[in-house]
Amino acid sequence: MQLFAETNLFDFGLVGRQLPELLKYLPITLELAVLSMMIGLAVGLLLAVIRIKRIPVLRQIAAFYISIIRGTPAIVQLYIAYFGIPMLLKYMNLHFGTDFDISAFPGFACAVFAMGFNESAYNAETIRAALSSVDRGQIEAASAVGMTYPQALRRIILPEAMTVALPGLGNSFIGLIKGTSLAFTCAVVEMTAQGKILGGRNYRYFEVYVSLAIIYWAVTIIVERLLKFVEKRLELPEQIDKNAEASEEVKDKAKAYAREAETRYDTNKKPEKAFSQ
Amino acid sequence: MIQIRNLKKRFRNNTVLDGIDLDINEGDVVGIIGPSGTGKSTLLRCINLLETPEEGEITVDGTAYSLSAHDRRQTLELRRQTGMVFQRFNLFERKTALENVMEGLVTVQKMPKEEARMLAAGELERVGMTEWSGHYPKHLSGGQQQRVAIARALAMKPKLLLLDEPTSALDPELVGEVLETIKDIASQGFTMMLVSHEMNFVRKVATRVIFLDGGKIVEDGTPREVFDNPRSQRAKDFFAKMHLLKQPEYTI
Repeated sequence: MQLFAETNLFDFGLVGRQLPELLKYLPITLELAVLSMMIGLAVGLLLAVIRIKRIPVLRQIAAFYISIIRGTPAIVQLYIAYFGIPMLLKYMNLHFGTDFDISAFPGFACAVFAMGFNESAYNAETIRAALSSVDRGQIEAASAVGMTYPQALRRIILPEAMTVALPGLGNSFIGLIKGTSLAFTCAVVEMTAQGKILGGRNYRYFEVYVSLAIIYWAVTIIVERLLKFVEKRLELPEQIDKNAEASEEVKDKAKAYAREAETRYDTNKKPEKAFSQ
Repeated sequence: MIQIRNLKKRFRNNTVLDGIDLDINEGDVVGIIGPSGTGKSTLLRCINLLETPEEGEITVDGTAYSLSAHDRRQTLELRRQTGMVFQRFNLFERKTALENVMEGLVTVQKMPKEEARMLAAGELERVGMTEWSGHYPKHLSGGQQQRVAIARALAMKPKLLLLDEPTSALDPELVGEVLETIKDIASQGFTMMLVSHEMNFVRKVATRVIFLDGGKIVEDGTPREVFDNPRSQRAKDFFAKMHLLKQPEYTI
């Protein structure tokens, strides 16, 4: 410690002092992560369902898409989005007479797109595994009461698959938070980019990266806690009191209903249906 | 009145159902028996299209449905007329007993939640599970789960209730309560098809017994006719084997 102070190699104070300056950009980092995750979940679910239901053609396209996304580095995908999306808009302007303002298209959106679709390929596999972990019998039971597949998916399959997928998806969300530091490639100033700017002012790069590490770590710890909490909430209770849900009133009505139902069925009953023995 | 015509189902080159024709009257309790692998469960699963047969037609109260058509609307409509009780209960794991029974009413029949709750509670009362309404399947014994499953199927007011070996996955001591429940609802006039290996039970509860073998109906008659006076050699052999096992008679 003394050594550091004498040589001025490492400025401890600066690590703490520039935290507020960096934290101003934490919302951008989190926005990037949350929005990308939303795209990643939606597209990932779609891909997973396509693969589970083995929908012809779409299934091959999904496999191809996942292969490409997983086979190329995220930073390359970000560059492709950053240069490719404006090109695509320009092409549309020329061919379809649309009037997109290319220069105004935000890099932020490019970054969210690229990271969201990147995330979707990985989520697709996690979600697929979780969906196939749901017992087929329950899906059959849902069909047997007359539910459509989307209804069964929403009401029965997803709630159960979610508990299985949560740890994996949480893991990839944590990865995504840190992955947002690549968004500088799309000219987005998020926390890490701001750190570089701060470092450029006084050449104290080491200190600024230490500050960044502290912030990312803290954020990750909070997210981990949050995930644990959600996991706990999703757990079914170990024990339940008898009569937990049926209040006296409900029970009385139930009895009345059952009696009424019985008499209703009795009228349908044919006399010769009485049981032998 | 339910009529099944020319129901054929193959798995690869193994013919499981070979042109089944069957008329079921309202209030009939049809027991389906026969050796393993003769398509008893497949017959039930083809009727509500959990399996798609190659050929076949079913008429429910005058409305005809093709069983081999792969028509989504028809499939849903047919399934809404039938209820199914599975060998392995297949309750929805993340729903309480009451929610299990409510699920079809709310999602499929679009019934208001409060009404569905009352109706579901009534069905649970009918199978004697009222005090377990708030419990999840994992808290319930196999027999209790199966009773909830029966309530779930009954709640949908099916014109035909299919029971696929409802007691085969149960511990022996739990079989009785489920059989009693089934006997109860049978006496209330529901039309049912029951696949079971509990011969004594089938004999008591069924109004009509069908013996399936090699994908065909070999015997069809009242329990007394089929059990005491089988015409076919195949059925005679089957019952002879059963008697050798000397199953203890179940008691209720």
